[in-house]
Amino acid sequence: MSGKSAIGIDLGTSNSAIAVAEGEDAPIRVVETTQILGPNRIGERETLASALYVPHPEEFPAGAFSLPWHEASGDLTVSSVAGHFAREHGALVPDRLITSAKSWLSNPHIDPHEAMLPWQSLSVAPKISPLTCSRRYLEELREGMLHALAQRDQALEVEHSQVVLTVPASFDEVARNLTLEAAQQAGWGSPLMLEEPQAAFYAWTEAVGSGWREQVGPGDVILVCDLGGGTADFSLIAIAEQEGQLRLERISVGEHILLGGDNMDLALAYTLRDQMEQAGTTIDEGQFLSLIHNASQAKASLFEDETLAEVPIALPSRGSSLFAKTVSTKLDRELLQGVILDGFFPITAIDEQPEEGDATGLSEFGLPYATDPAVSRHLARFLARSLINVQGNAELAALVGERAASGQALLPSAVLFNGGVFKAAPVRTRVLELLNHWSPNAQVRALEGYQPDLAVAKGAACYGRMRANGKGLRIKAGTARSYYIGLQSSRPAVPGFKPTIKALCVVPQGMEEGSEEVIEGQTFGLVVGKPARFRFFSSEVRSGDRPGEILGNAENTLEETSALEIALPPMQEFPQGATVPVRIESVVNELGVLELWMHHTNSERRWKVEYQVRTS
Amino acid sequence: MKSAAIILASLLPLLIAATLIPAAEPFGFELRLGALVAAVALLPVVIGIVRGSAEPDSSPAASAPPPPPTASATACDDQVVMLLALLQERGRLIDFLMDDITAYGDDQVGAASRVVHEGCREVLQEHFSVVPMREEAEGSEVTVPVGYAADEYRLVGTINGQAPFNGRLVHRGWRTTRVKMPRLAQSGGDRLPAIAPAEVELQS
Repeated sequence: MSGKSAIGIDLGTSNSAIAVAEGEDAPIRVVETTQILGPNRIGERETLASALYVPHPEEFPAGAFSLPWHEASGDLTVSSVAGHFAREHGALVPDRLITSAKSWLSNPHIDPHEAMLPWQSLSVAPKISPLTCSRRYLEELREGMLHALAQRDQALEVEHSQVVLTVPASFDEVARNLTLEAAQQAGWGSPLMLEEPQAAFYAWTEAVGSGWREQVGPGDVILVCDLGGGTADFSLIAIAEQEGQLRLERISVGEHILLGGDNMDLALAYTLRDQMEQAGTTIDEGQFLSLIHNASQAKASLFEDETLAEVPIALPSRGSSLFAKTVSTKLDRELLQGVILDGFFPITAIDEQPEEGDATGLSEFGLPYATDPAVSRHLARFLARSLINVQGNAELAALVGERAASGQALLPSAVLFNGGVFKAAPVRTRVLELLNHWSPNAQVRALEGYQPDLAVAKGAACYGRMRANGKGLRIKAGTARSYYIGLQSSRPAVPGFKPTIKALCVVPQGMEEGSEEVIEGQTFGLVVGKPARFRFFSSEVRSGDRPGEILGNAENTLEETSALEIALPPMQEFPQGATVPVRIESVVNELGVLELWMHHTNSERRWKVEYQVRTS
Repeated sequence: MKSAAIILASLLPLLIAATLIPAAEPFGFELRLGALVAAVALLPVVIGIVRGSAEPDSSPAASAPPPPPTASATACDDQVVMLLALLQERGRLIDFLMDDITAYGDDQVGAASRVVHEGCREVLQEHFSVVPMREEAEGSEVTVPVGYAADEYRLVGTINGQAPFNGRLVHRGWRTTRVKMPRLAQSGGDRLPAIAPAEVELQS
């Protein structure tokens, strides 16, 4: 074994996993983690369900959820349990179950440090913050991995390995920072951050070996289409040639879309339940949970074996009488096609955008689930926005050549599928059909070598190995978005008109790791001892904006990301109440994390700006 | 005694799985029913063994003083109960076997057996890697090689001479190449753990 080891962590919305590359040449392998499989049951699994259950103090025997490392630390009063058991048991006790903590991290309406999960729970106190929840998963993954390795007399030095943690491409800097914070608290050191679709791409290059260069070449634009359990994540990667070398660049990322395989299983279960009710059979909550599980299995069987016409489904009651109370139904191919392919992947026009939810209705505040289930329309929106993005920047436009010149969307030449939804070949075929429908003059192809399982974790390990050993072809990426600070327009107040907010670009899209930039021309006066707050905006489609540029109307063209807050403590040279002139300095550090600093105009002193609580 | 209990308990899902897999389909319902009867017959044996070891005094053969219970014996019993618990949790096996089958029609038994088949199969696939002992089709001529493992073959009919033996494959046999059971976080309580807890729904 030579070279440094790399550890890739996929902290997923519904499942998490770890892959390891031990040394430069060793194959990348997914490592099992020791975890709770049930009350008083411990074992190893490749994935850890990203679910946390908060039991009632009397619900389970004392020590039923104690893991070896809890015992080692003397902390046997485990107040929450993570993993598959949590998800399964929590389905029957939903008030005590936390899921999708990751999506709460990127929710623009809440403060992820605030203990607010399980959302709207009346039984759990104290509650848990989205950040703590992510930290718990990362802790269980770390300890579980080390314990499982020790079981086999293996060891891995986390401190001396290159750790890579993946995040959705749709995560903004605030969500990325929070994820990093959770990882540091969980003892992972300071991992590198990598976007999930890029990880999927690295996993693909690793899986197909050196032959990947035969499948793609200069001029290709690759759509990484990642559909997991709970989220859809899109990215485009352009391939060009520069001085005889291949050059890969991630040229656009999608928005955070809460739509995935779980929605599909639910849709099937609801449809089957309706069918049963019309036939006079009602089922209880427990049977409905079995129905979701069974419908998902039946879906997989039908998609896998095209000769099957239907799959029978039997649903036991929760009572012990199995013969008397089991009801049956069946999933047939027609229903499956209708619900999954036509419901989620309809052949739509390229200009059809997702339908917005009913904005006037009183919708329950919570996670911003996608209201339009059609992945097709979300994909169309992404490709249209990608076109706008590359057209904003001559360099990006040159990279994709003619594709940027016309049309309503930036259409890819090839697609790399990722995520469990695409295990079903008919779903892959349908998405290809859709892309070719939009692109009548050029054939869109699927990259060979789709990996159904845990590609993101493997890709993260692969990237970590490249970074540790300085070998391999990296995707040029940088920040996925450009960032802006809101400037209050100085003009007299007019009744009935809100003053518009101007925006100062402080971070351009594509700003790379290890670079920093002082924004010239704009000086701010910070009053010592008095906290200053700024509104912070971002956009994933404005590749042309340069640092220092000012946009007219921030609220119309940008998304509000968070607030920034800075309070200068009184210092010797700057007493309480003094005004300090500063310029903004943006830094993207070596880990790929964005930091903003207030840099004193007349000296080298600078103060870090903190991301603040997001409130609606 | 304990290992016998584990083997028998392990046999239960094998038996159920073996009879419910698609390959058994052509043989129709008789086979399935036969297997059920066999499985039902097997359960008391397992339970008996587990009980016997848990309460040594109740054993009629216990004329000599029973050996003092050791921690490992209890852990072993707990582990057997865990296997039953897994089969019940996923595959409702105990519900299936403890219910009175005679009162129900084939359609109801059929629907219930799908539940058992799917769930127990999941348990089997997760915790064991079951493969046939012989890959050949049943009914074909096979050779039992020199130096075969006697526990892997059961010779029936007329047994004479020395291996290799030639004969007709009646049952292909099963073995597992892997056992990956969950471990107990703690064991050795004063009673056996529950197979399935009584479930009580609380109203809000």
